[in-house]
Amino acid sequence: MTILKRIGRPAALALGLAGAAGGVAAQDKEPIKFGLLQDFTAVYTFVTGEYNQGQQDYLTLVNEEGGIDGHMFEAIVRDTGNEPQRGIEAYNRAREEGAILFDFLSTPVSRGLVDQVMKDEVVLITPLHGRGDAAAGETFPFVFPVMATYWSQAAVLADHIKSTGGLEGKKVALVHIDSPFGREPMPVLEGIAEAENFEVRGFPYPSPGNEQSATWSEVRRYRPDVVFIWGAGGGQSVSVQQAIRNGIDPASIHSVVWMAETDARNVGADAMTGVKRFEAVATGTETPIVSRIVEKVVEPGKSAGDAANVGSSYYNIGVATMAVAVEAARLALESEGAPLDGPKLKAGFEMIENFDAEGMMPPITITPEDHQGGGYGRVAQWNGSAWEPVSDWTTAYPEIVQEEIEMNAAEYAGGN
Amino acid sequence: MAYFIELLVNGALVGLMYALAALGFVLIYKSAGVPNLAQGALVMMAAYLVWYLGSLGLPIWIAIAVGAALMFGFGLLVERLLLRRMVGQPVIMVVMLTLGMEILLRGLIPGVFGAAPKPLDLGIGLAPVIVADVFMNRAYLIGGLVAVLLIAASMLFFRTRLGTKLRAVSDDHVASWAVGLSVERAIGLSWGIAGIAAVGAGVLWGSVQGVDWTLSTLLFPAIAVVILGGVDSIKGVLVGGLAVGILGSVIPGYLDAMVGGSTRDVVTSVIILLTILVRPHGIFGREDIERI
Amino acid sequence: MFYRLSGIRHTSYPAARQLWPIAADRWQVGLVTALALAAPVLVSDLYLGSYVLPWLIWTAAALSLSLLMGLGGQLHFGFAAVMAIGAYSSIHLTRAGVPFEFALLGGGVAAAVIGTAFGAAALRVKGLYLVMATLAMQYLVDWVITNVPAISGGAQATLRTPEVSFLLLPLESLDARYYVALLWTVLMTLFFLNVKRTSFGRALAAIRDKDFAAAVIGVDPFRTKLMAFMTASFAGGVSGAILAFCYYGAVTPEQFGFNVSIQLVAMVLVGGLGSVIGGYFGAGFVLLVPIVLTNLIAGLAGAGWISVSQNLAAHLPLIFYGGMIIGFLLFEPLGLAKIYDNIRKYFLVWPFRHSGS
Repeated sequence: MTILKRIGRPAALALGLAGAAGGVAAQDKEPIKFGLLQDFTAVYTFVTGEYNQGQQDYLTLVNEEGGIDGHMFEAIVRDTGNEPQRGIEAYNRAREEGAILFDFLSTPVSRGLVDQVMKDEVVLITPLHGRGDAAAGETFPFVFPVMATYWSQAAVLADHIKSTGGLEGKKVALVHIDSPFGREPMPVLEGIAEAENFEVRGFPYPSPGNEQSATWSEVRRYRPDVVFIWGAGGGQSVSVQQAIRNGIDPASIHSVVWMAETDARNVGADAMTGVKRFEAVATGTETPIVSRIVEKVVEPGKSAGDAANVGSSYYNIGVATMAVAVEAARLALESEGAPLDGPKLKAGFEMIENFDAEGMMPPITITPEDHQGGGYGRVAQWNGSAWEPVSDWTTAYPEIVQEEIEMNAAEYAGGN
Repeated sequence: MAYFIELLVNGALVGLMYALAALGFVLIYKSAGVPNLAQGALVMMAAYLVWYLGSLGLPIWIAIAVGAALMFGFGLLVERLLLRRMVGQPVIMVVMLTLGMEILLRGLIPGVFGAAPKPLDLGIGLAPVIVADVFMNRAYLIGGLVAVLLIAASMLFFRTRLGTKLRAVSDDHVASWAVGLSVERAIGLSWGIAGIAAVGAGVLWGSVQGVDWTLSTLLFPAIAVVILGGVDSIKGVLVGGLAVGILGSVIPGYLDAMVGGSTRDVVTSVIILLTILVRPHGIFGREDIERI
Repeated sequence: MFYRLSGIRHTSYPAARQLWPIAADRWQVGLVTALALAAPVLVSDLYLGSYVLPWLIWTAAALSLSLLMGLGGQLHFGFAAVMAIGAYSSIHLTRAGVPFEFALLGGGVAAAVIGTAFGAAALRVKGLYLVMATLAMQYLVDWVITNVPAISGGAQATLRTPEVSFLLLPLESLDARYYVALLWTVLMTLFFLNVKRTSFGRALAAIRDKDFAAAVIGVDPFRTKLMAFMTASFAGGVSGAILAFCYYGAVTPEQFGFNVSIQLVAMVLVGGLGSVIGGYFGAGFVLLVPIVLTNLIAGLAGAGWISVSQNLAAHLPLIFYGGMIIGFLLFEPLGLAKIYDNIRKYFLVWPFRHSGS
């Protein structure tokens, strides 16, 4: 055990990349540490690289601009390989180093650590992953999904279809990966189907989704008017290819948030024209925050990764998550004062009101009851070279989504 | 009925593409008696190599040719550096060694070339091929053809002078030594050819799903193919591939809707279990196959 | 010098049969036991909860598998599924009101029943085919867990362990959970040390070395193999339940996936087939090396000693880990236990190079 301690020492030196870039003003103030303990090597490789680079680059930007009231931010970045036991170790270590906010970007690790996080009173953000019912702030006081849950995403997509072509009497196919994540939107879609009077049916394909031909033959036979695809990584581009090969109009394909430029390149940029996806954060480098990152972080060579990733869908999602976290830290410092800890940061999150990261994301308001921030998002369409928004930031069917959140949260409170 | 035929045809084509991934496994088992559980990782590596060569500006066909040459060399290298030292060790050691290699490659290749999925465009196009109301997947159609060609080529290869040597080596190592055949060279060669087979599988699957580490998960269906067909039979790869593909397409095509979950992995697992229960050496495998 | 062998003479059968006939070995075992008992005081919560505790539980699991693979020579590539059966059934049992102590046994029994059923199906074959058959079991069990919400814990596929107490000791604090895990691992260790000397253990070894030769001398191969599957699955099931209750606190299907099965096999092989101390070494190696490497590389990169891209840095532990498995198989196929044995033998006769006989 002593050997372990000795080996562990150099690791304890581990510095976030942001810390080194700090200004002079910060020296008398403790940095605020965020634990970004994510999966760089296993199931989430399709997103983690860009997402984490965005998170680190935003923290570097904040530090470059002098931090928040002189407080610098430090990112503790570790690979967990999507393995719960490595996630637990990384979490405990980062907590010992003083991290007060965590982002695992891994559904199994997040789900496994929810209880521990609440016991330790530190903040866990679960943007676009983890338990959807964590939106219920009273049951999950320290867990913040921050962005639209999968339930809200399904609702926003359904609402978009309703406003563009109508839903009544339509046949909707939900083609999804056969896992709890893939099945997640089903109850909400069924609820909406009842309200709007359309038909919905699920078509699972086996994990990891590199081969879906039998599923799509069945989908074609069902003759759907609208197709939802609910998967992640390589399975998504296979879904789109199969849909097109089966004669489904790309414009009727609606994807969960996990659909990016890479998938379009895999399918073929032209062939994919018309496909729609849910979007939680604006893509591109035009928004003020990203253009400042380009100017102050990427051009001086301080970016945490390849400059070509800057402005991509997942990169910008990473930026937005940290923008929300830093905003929460700012509010917490203002009202509760330094030094920050978990409960103060939690209070900061719950004070966020109409925050839109300078136009990068929908204005979100987080309250002690609603940790999702309203479930806003919009629909974007691939135009052959980029994702083009085709709706405004909106939220939809809040009662149906809320019902699902409450039902699951009650189950959790009841012991599960 | 058209639905059934469509499931049947597409399943058969997919099965042939699995067979392509399984071909390398059989080639190595046939000559060396080594179960190569790193074949999935070889497929991934081959796809990455071709993608990388393509991204350097090489036309795709030349990239594939260069990739095949490189993978042939890599196969030789693996045999020379790792497997030759394991001769005479129990099967579990070899199984674990190839699994260690799979872990190593799954770290090394995405670590060096990037973990995010890469596109690999063969210019196949997305329009379906429609024959009498049956939609066929163009990519699988080409993949299936390539698979048949490669498997046929391997069968013919075993009829050549060199192939006859390989057959002799696979029959009996000691006897081959006695008549002056180089067993080492023959086994090395079979690893090299398995490397080339991996290029075929990697390029075709990579063009369908994008190139990333998940290509190495093709190992599981490939194993089902191999077990069903017989671990040392190239004919078995063809038949096993067709059977696994068709059963894994037709049965879920009707069963999924009833169960409400995807049943393909169950079908694959049951195929493996039943084969092992009823006929462990597979359809075309040799009965004396157990080498313990 | 350290291991004084002079004066060790066995004058009775019990003395000759004791587990550690050499005094120095007894001292070492005693010291390690004392350290293990005092661990909650000696090491910080971070190391107790994230290193020592999982290490102990995985050691128990690795020993269970080693019973099958090392003693019995039966390969099993679906052992994580066996642990999953134990974990899920014990949680559902405690939820139904069964006391934790009995739920642990129930988890073991459930794992033994299902594990033996698959074992019986697979026992016609050996070697590679057994690998494939158990692999199929892994996929089937995974599929059932993820596709039956009643088992996996509803739409979120997370099943939390209820609050329980073990022999009146509430499993609330880390220390309590540590001691329960320690107890189970010590029990497994003692069982493993002793089973080698029973008729069952000897029958297993006979089967492993040559099954028809064993049959000739009157050992029923089928029955013995089935017993081995049953014992190992029972122990694996209880280990899985301990893992769920003492370590994870909430189980998800990913915790018992195919890669965990591979890790368990690696633990047994890297440690040394059929060796008790190898179980400890192997579990420690496979479980902790990736963690230590991740921290080490992050530390080095942070201090600016190595400059590689973040992507490569994240993959380096995987590369080293795979490389080390290959290295062990090539250079020390008998595993870490053999290395320990070599060192011990060296000191047995130290300062001389060889013993006289």
